[in-house]
Amino acid sequence: MSASQRPDPGPDRSPLSDDALQAGHEQIIGKQPDEKGKYRLLPLNLLFLFSGLIFIGGTYLGRFSGHFHPKVFNEYGQPPKAGAAAAVAVDPLVLGKNVYVQVCAACHQPTGLGLPPAFPPLAGSEWVSGSEERIIRIVLHGLQGPIKVKGVEYVGAMPAAGPGSGYNLSPEKVAAVLTYVRKEWGGIETPVSVAKVAEVRGKEGNRQPWTAAELEKIP
Amino acid sequence: MSTPPTQASAADASPFDGGARWPLTLLAGSALVWLVVGSLLALLTGIQLHTPSFLADCSALTHGRAQAWRETAFLYGWAGNAGVGLGLWILGRLGGHPLRALNWAVVGTVFWNLGLLFGLIGIATGSMTGFAGLQLPRAVQPVLVAAFCAMALPGVLAWAGRKREGTYAAQWYAAAALFLLPWFWTATQAVLLWSPLRGVVQTVAASWHAQSVVALWLMPLALAAAYYVIPKQTGKLLPGYDSAPLAFWTLIVVGSWTFGRHLIGGPVPAWIPTMAVVAQCLLLFHFLVIWLNFRGAFAGGSVTLQYMRFGLVAYLLTGLAETITSFRGIAVHTQFTLFGPALEALLLQGALSMFLFGGLVHQLPRVTGRHWALPSFVSGHASLVMLGVVVSVLSLGWAGLAQDALLNHSQTPFAEILVQLKMPLLLHSAGQFALLAGNVLLLVAFLRSALSCCQAEGASVLRPASSAS
Repeated sequence: MSASQRPDPGPDRSPLSDDALQAGHEQIIGKQPDEKGKYRLLPLNLLFLFSGLIFIGGTYLGRFSGHFHPKVFNEYGQPPKAGAAAAVAVDPLVLGKNVYVQVCAACHQPTGLGLPPAFPPLAGSEWVSGSEERIIRIVLHGLQGPIKVKGVEYVGAMPAAGPGSGYNLSPEKVAAVLTYVRKEWGGIETPVSVAKVAEVRGKEGNRQPWTAAELEKIP
Repeated sequence: MSTPPTQASAADASPFDGGARWPLTLLAGSALVWLVVGSLLALLTGIQLHTPSFLADCSALTHGRAQAWRETAFLYGWAGNAGVGLGLWILGRLGGHPLRALNWAVVGTVFWNLGLLFGLIGIATGSMTGFAGLQLPRAVQPVLVAAFCAMALPGVLAWAGRKREGTYAAQWYAAAALFLLPWFWTATQAVLLWSPLRGVVQTVAASWHAQSVVALWLMPLALAAAYYVIPKQTGKLLPGYDSAPLAFWTLIVVGSWTFGRHLIGGPVPAWIPTMAVVAQCLLLFHFLVIWLNFRGAFAGGSVTLQYMRFGLVAYLLTGLAETITSFRGIAVHTQFTLFGPALEALLLQGALSMFLFGGLVHQLPRVTGRHWALPSFVSGHASLVMLGVVVSVLSLGWAGLAQDALLNHSQTPFAEILVQLKMPLLLHSAGQFALLAGNVLLLVAFLRSALSCCQAEGASVLRPASSAS
């Protein structure tokens, strides 16, 4: 087998010993003086190039970093001003529709027509267009037992959706979904206020689901 | 091959290699076994890209799991074992003393590979984590870090107890890799598996880990091999070596910051992808210096230098392409297409593997004190893997660009895109088949060499220990 066929010169040829390898390279990076006692300098063009890259990189970073703000997701964006976030009000109708689709629509249907015999309709329901006090309580604590809607009796159980329940909707979301439902299917423009929801909740606390008979005693 | 060593021939068989023979052969052997396993899975996942029903009924080999297997076997099995073996060997030789605490390395290697085996079984049975590059089951990961520390111990001792005051680039890269893996892996385990961060920070940490595995651990080991082997093969000092320290520090400091290029458009703060662009631009300096240092590899004719040349070109091309595609305007076209896997293949199979192949082909004859038993198999391996990498990278790149052109037109139905990609994906599978065939050849050549060395152990006159005196 000739040496040219070998994938590697193999252990019996060594153009450069480990010692020569180390000593030679040490001399290049200036740790050792050459024969004339002089040290080598780093090549300046490469240093300039490196500095140039750092300069360009720094400029780019300053321009497109969004001031390193954790809430800027667009490289052209600016960090939000203090207090700006609080000033943006959420439209209760938009929020309410979201909550309705996520929480309520499974039973009451996206059309608000319900699904007899268990789930009563919201559209045209006297409970929706009626007392604010009652409908807030239904959403906060749920409802069980028979209930008469538009002359038809429905028997089902509606789970509580208020704070601390399985759905754990905040008072803002309860107010928003009620505002949406009352406008959409009861024709009532007046929004349900967050304060009213909080007030009812403060009065009733956490309690068992209501029955229709109990609710009818409330004005 | 059986000629006794002459006086000149003894020079490159270091007196220190004899004691390290079996631990280093064990590392190289396990690396090559994982390489073949990984290539087999790469072929399988490649076939699944154009024929999705292939082995789809076997839950362990469905695309998601096979992909995780492939990635884990390649990174931690093949590149990890091979890189650590080369790193230890280089640190030992340049340290000027025989490697100490090698029994730790053997125990570490055994546990590392057992851990990987159990990890792969875990992945196959569905208990992998959800993080790319870190899919190994939770319970295995601390074992692997501990095993790695044991494997790295001889290297750390050789670095700390080195004879010369001055150090060489190969030592910096190898020592840095040995120290950096336990650091970043324990950090990412802590924040991803044991007390998980919430929300989007998880993605950031997982991408950082995946980038660090390559940029801070495997690539430095591969570069150490290249820095050691290229001057040994050409017999010349490296040109432009003055800037090597700056290139080293550039990679170590900014190398892992480039992970943000994968998160463009994601719900991460804008500065993270921007930082990745800047880090990529700074790395251009690293690539330039690597080119200046390694260009001597184009002069020689040995197979080892062929690997190194190929690896060098692939490394530079990946660096350029990754820099260009890290800009948001370009990423719009390449992100989420097969162009990403094409670049990954170019980096891992083209650059990383080739540097490691070059290192192994150079290392084994010196560690065993004998020539490769089947030199034609090694040359065959070189031709096949180079062909395989070129074919599979070009076909994936073609598929990626075709995907971009089609996906950005909302009228094109998705099924139509799949039909159009069939041709490049078939080519990709052909490339993966060439890689598998080549890697099997290398494993066979390795086993033959190790076996003949084992048989001749008792009587061999080529034992470096005896020729050193």
